[in-house]
Amino acid sequence: MNLREIGILYRHELRSALRERTIVVNGILIPIFMYPLLLWGMFTAVTFVQGLNDGFASRIVVDGQLPAMHSELRDSLQALPAVDVVDDVDDPRAAVAEGRIDAIVTLRPTDDETAALPGNFRVDIAYDRAETRSADARARVEALVSRWRSRWLADLGDDLGLDAAERGVFVVAREDVSTARDFTNVLLGYLLSTFLIMMVAIGCFLPAIDTTAGERERSTWETLMTVGANRGSVVLAKYLYVATLGIVAGALNVIALMVSIGAVLGPLLGESGASLDVALTPRAALVMIGGAVLLAMTFGAAMMVFASFARSFKDGQAMVTPVIWLAVLPILVGGEPSDVNLSTSSATVPILNISLMIRDAIRGFFVWDAIAVTLVVSLGLVAVLLFLARRVLSFEEFLTGSFDGSFWRFAKQRLFARRSLSDPRPTAR
Amino acid sequence: MTTPLHTPAVLVDDLRKSFFEEERGEVPAVDGISFEARPGEVFGLLGANGAGKTTTLRMLSTVLRPTSGSATVMGHDVVTESEKVRQSLGFYSASTALYPRLTARETLEFFARINGYPPSRVPARVDELVDRFGIREYEHGRVEKLSSGMKQKVSIARTIAHDPPVLIFDEPTVGLDVMNAIEMVKVISELKADGKAVLYSSHIMSEVEKLCDRIGILHRGRLLALGTLDELREATGEHYLEDIFVRFVTDESGAAGALPGAFGELESDAS
Amino acid sequence: MIGPLLRNELRMLLRDTRTILIAVVAPVVLVPGYILLTGAVDDRESARLDSATYTWALVGDEIAWGERTVEAALALPADSGEAETIFERTAVMAELDPEAVERRTELADSLLEAGEIQVVVVARQARAEDSLDVATPVLSLRYRSGSDLSRSARGRLENRLERYRETVRDALYASAGFPVDRSDVAVVVDDNVATAAKEGGRFLARFLLPLVVMLMLAGGSIIAADTISGEKERGTLETLLTSAAGRSEIVRAKLLAIIVVGLAVVVVNVANLGLYLTIGILEVPEGLALDLSFGQLGLLVLIFVPLAGLVAAALLLISGFAKSYREYQLYQPVLFLAFLLPSLAALLPGLELQSVVVLVPIAGLSVATGAVLAGGWSLPWGLAAIASTSIAALLLLRWVEIVLSNERLITSASWDEADFRGGAALFPRHVLTWFLTLWVLFFLVSLWFGDALGVRGQIVVNLVGVFLGGSAWLVHRYRLDPVEVLSLRAPGWTSWPAVLVGAPSFLVLGIGVAQLVNTYLFPVPQSLLEAFSEGLTLNLGVLQLLFFLALMPGVLEEIAFRGVLLHGLRRRLASPWIAAIACGAVFGLFHVSLFRIVPTGLLGIMLALVVLRTRSIYPAMLWHFLNNALALVPAELEWIEADVVIPAWGYAVAAAGLVTSFLLLRPAQR
Repeated sequence: MNLREIGILYRHELRSALRERTIVVNGILIPIFMYPLLLWGMFTAVTFVQGLNDGFASRIVVDGQLPAMHSELRDSLQALPAVDVVDDVDDPRAAVAEGRIDAIVTLRPTDDETAALPGNFRVDIAYDRAETRSADARARVEALVSRWRSRWLADLGDDLGLDAAERGVFVVAREDVSTARDFTNVLLGYLLSTFLIMMVAIGCFLPAIDTTAGERERSTWETLMTVGANRGSVVLAKYLYVATLGIVAGALNVIALMVSIGAVLGPLLGESGASLDVALTPRAALVMIGGAVLLAMTFGAAMMVFASFARSFKDGQAMVTPVIWLAVLPILVGGEPSDVNLSTSSATVPILNISLMIRDAIRGFFVWDAIAVTLVVSLGLVAVLLFLARRVLSFEEFLTGSFDGSFWRFAKQRLFARRSLSDPRPTAR
Repeated sequence: MTTPLHTPAVLVDDLRKSFFEEERGEVPAVDGISFEARPGEVFGLLGANGAGKTTTLRMLSTVLRPTSGSATVMGHDVVTESEKVRQSLGFYSASTALYPRLTARETLEFFARINGYPPSRVPARVDELVDRFGIREYEHGRVEKLSSGMKQKVSIARTIAHDPPVLIFDEPTVGLDVMNAIEMVKVISELKADGKAVLYSSHIMSEVEKLCDRIGILHRGRLLALGTLDELREATGEHYLEDIFVRFVTDESGAAGALPGAFGELESDAS
Repeated sequence: MIGPLLRNELRMLLRDTRTILIAVVAPVVLVPGYILLTGAVDDRESARLDSATYTWALVGDEIAWGERTVEAALALPADSGEAETIFERTAVMAELDPEAVERRTELADSLLEAGEIQVVVVARQARAEDSLDVATPVLSLRYRSGSDLSRSARGRLENRLERYRETVRDALYASAGFPVDRSDVAVVVDDNVATAAKEGGRFLARFLLPLVVMLMLAGGSIIAADTISGEKERGTLETLLTSAAGRSEIVRAKLLAIIVVGLAVVVVNVANLGLYLTIGILEVPEGLALDLSFGQLGLLVLIFVPLAGLVAAALLLISGFAKSYREYQLYQPVLFLAFLLPSLAALLPGLELQSVVVLVPIAGLSVATGAVLAGGWSLPWGLAAIASTSIAALLLLRWVEIVLSNERLITSASWDEADFRGGAALFPRHVLTWFLTLWVLFFLVSLWFGDALGVRGQIVVNLVGVFLGGSAWLVHRYRLDPVEVLSLRAPGWTSWPAVLVGAPSFLVLGIGVAQLVNTYLFPVPQSLLEAFSEGLTLNLGVLQLLFFLALMPGVLEEIAFRGVLLHGLRRRLASPWIAAIACGAVFGLFHVSLFRIVPTGLLGIMLALVVLRTRSIYPAMLWHFLNNALALVPAELEWIEADVVIPAWGYAVAAAGLVTSFLLLRPAQR
């Protein structure tokens, strides 16, 4: 194993990869574009549907009569900008059910014991809960009636001689001491720890298959096996190349997210009053980069081990897909954002620990002993996987490409078989 | 070549290889063969499909590990010094394809470098190969876009990119058209003239007859005969290689029914 | 003949156990597993928030009152549906003197920051910045939105305090002799006319078609990926094409195979979900009931058959285009998106079956599904929707047959002269890739640097940097002849008056088309249209407006799109019409905003036709300039009303003008 060989092989792998459209698209274009496009698409769609909902005037039928003191309520219903009061509809209930009108508002004085309050009334709103437009119409009418009710109650309080301040009792206010940066970091921590895993996995996916099963399919595998380089160098160069593309995908993804999040989410959040302030402390950035590298190393090694069993590219995909599923698992388990996630016990679960470590770091928490455990666990896993990959790739069936792709037969013959004349040890280095 | 003519470039001594098959247990593919190949000669391995030719050559190229016996290439043992062995040989077979996404020139550069050719002399070496094989016209075309004839030229050029003293051609004319096959035979003659030791396997008698200085007849993993064409003619009294081959094989099997083709399944993947 | 072909396809698939295992069996097991897992995680998380002990601190100048109020609020029994929450007042503050307001605040804030406590209650008198009508005392809840515990503590405490305030008010009113309960005043009573079946139907309609489309696509892909592109890769396609089976039979057999597998996957997954719903592992949302009649089921089947056909034909088409298995996969996500978007049509409010939407494949079916499940079904309109999708499927199928007859299909790997000569010969093949790159740049510039550059800066960077720079680079890179590429030659003189007539006519007709779409196809509220075009108001002054938004685009966009792009497309595509349409489509995509893609796309097609007819780029530049100037200047300077209505004769004149103009566009006489 020497560095010069590894360097030549590594450059060779990269050059081939950068000319393969599928790898470039998956490893470089998708990470750059996914956020801007996804966020922009969501933004447009949300605004559009929201706009449609808000933009349609509610068609309502107003029925019944109120005491004279409330006559203004009916007028203000009619005056609402988003409400069209429709007259002369036959069988309004059926019209609501068929979607021709959105709601029937029936105003009437109460006649039970609540009538003890002079002028008390109730409002019946018939609407169709299954239809968005109808539910919107109900909400608009209800909001108006509720405002009217508060004002009337206040007036009644005055009549009873209740002091306005006393009647108000107290006011509950909110005061968020989190800065825009805190808020952004929570959001970033959630998005990044999730998407980084996906992106690194996607970045490793095709290269790992292409460089093992793909070579076998193109029959370049034997060509490579007869060159004068150490087999260990070959495996290591391939591994480095897979991990590199994973890291590239991850890094591009992080950059794209950092740059786009303000531009795209800013206007969306602007309406709710929240604002974004994208900045990372050097320490968090360091942990994040380290996390991305660990992820790429783990996925690269795991995928190479699995892909080595495949005869063809297609086969390789089927073999490696479970690794992607495993990658998604921690996203689901760690899905809920919590305050501090990484503990020395959760740090023993591979992938999940890196995800939690990144999330915590972005939010400003550094549990150093747990980070150390994460590091040890991840590197240990990588070492085991690499050892496996090296072993698997040096079995004769794989060297000559005569392996028939059956995982079970391989296991039966190679891992559990009694020792026999055919030496089950790997061939020479 | 600096290697003196009398030292063998390839030395094979009682080489054996057996595979494990679930239904049949241990199956010997190469069953104790010995031969040597010297610089400046073409050594032909003649045999039917499944006779053990590819397995033998793969052991020499260190892709397979011998079950027992020994083999050296330029004095390097294939088991203990596999890297040095690979650096001193060029291996060409139907299953050693080229990287489709590299250009012809990049292919040659890569193989020269990775096989340990002195880095400073790589460009000059590639230019030499490009001119020698007439690749100049499409040296910047990607391999995947080349016609099969062009690919063949690039493929031979990459085999000798690092100027190895030993060359192994495993059924190189399989699947080639007449013109390309003739071209291949011509190249091998040139390499021989350059003083290379060439190991050549085939089941096509006429090529072996034309090319090889010495011929080994391989059947069911065993070397039945070894010698120059003339020596073989003398031993059997037959003139044509085809007849010589059939004579050896039927003598060995002892039964006319056991035709060589019946053993094809052993190496179905290799041809 | 189709029978053996179909059997062969299915047999090959069924022998590929690994693919079946990963693509069919595993999802069936894993999907419910994932749902359960996420459910369990959610439950654990909310249990954590429910069982947490929330610590609070009290500060402010009204400590005594605050203490009384908060304690009273916390002493209220838990509301129905509210979890019993443990609140605990922090002991750390107890040692501090209640009068030391500032020190208490400081300490509480630092505890909050450190996460020791979750919420700080500030009890104080109203201040000016509270802008209250009456001076009521204030309880301000200080929390950190960055911490979920703190957010949860604030929410729970706020809830309690508000409930407590209502009880105080009720008591107050009652003691003053209010005749009824306050909660009985002016009550709003809901009367939901929707039956549970209708609500269930609507709920189902929202996701049924997208679900079926996704499953069909995913299931069909299992076999489609392998069926043409895979056969090409393995070299078995030639074997098949040289057999006695006709092209159309092969295509139909493969289509049937995709439909069979796709439907099988749909049925398996739906049945699987149904099973989990029945045994109660997954729960149906409350208040919903599903009550499907046989008639409804029959209609649904009627809707899904053409859908399956269309999906299968599209999958087969990309399989036919792709040279290898992995190239197929590259196109697959694009196809998923293209099918998923129209299938979501049922989510849009205000879209009815009785509209032009039935003419849009898939979208029509989506709305029809909604109509079947939640009311509003009409047979003729429903059939129209089914017919439009069926026709689309048949057209795609015909396309696949054409693709399969293409000779390049079999000889695709062979050597091509252009690859080695490089230069101009390669340009037509690379032009779209290059424009994709330019689009990327364009998109990123507006997204990432839009604010920093301002409108003018953005225009300059995009037009000069991306379009002009990109064009110059391509001309240089491929050693193209600028005169030829950019059509830098004089047109016939009649072209000039033709442009003067044509540009305004086209603009007027464009407005008409937009109105037709908005009236008949898809009603979009006016306010929404305005919101989306808000970015266009500029306040630049008329000269700058003309320069930045008419002259510069007129010249520079023409160079890039009707020069370089059109030149490449003309040499790549057989028909000039198709080249013009493709050129327009790319041009449209460069105007990212949702409502500008279609009109600018049409303009792009028109301008490409102008160039192709006159063999000169200059009339197109003038046309583009006039178009932008006429569209922007009068409205911007308020010379005309925003909602001016064009009478019918106006459209007639415009149509006549456009036709005349088109006839007058001529190349120069030799």
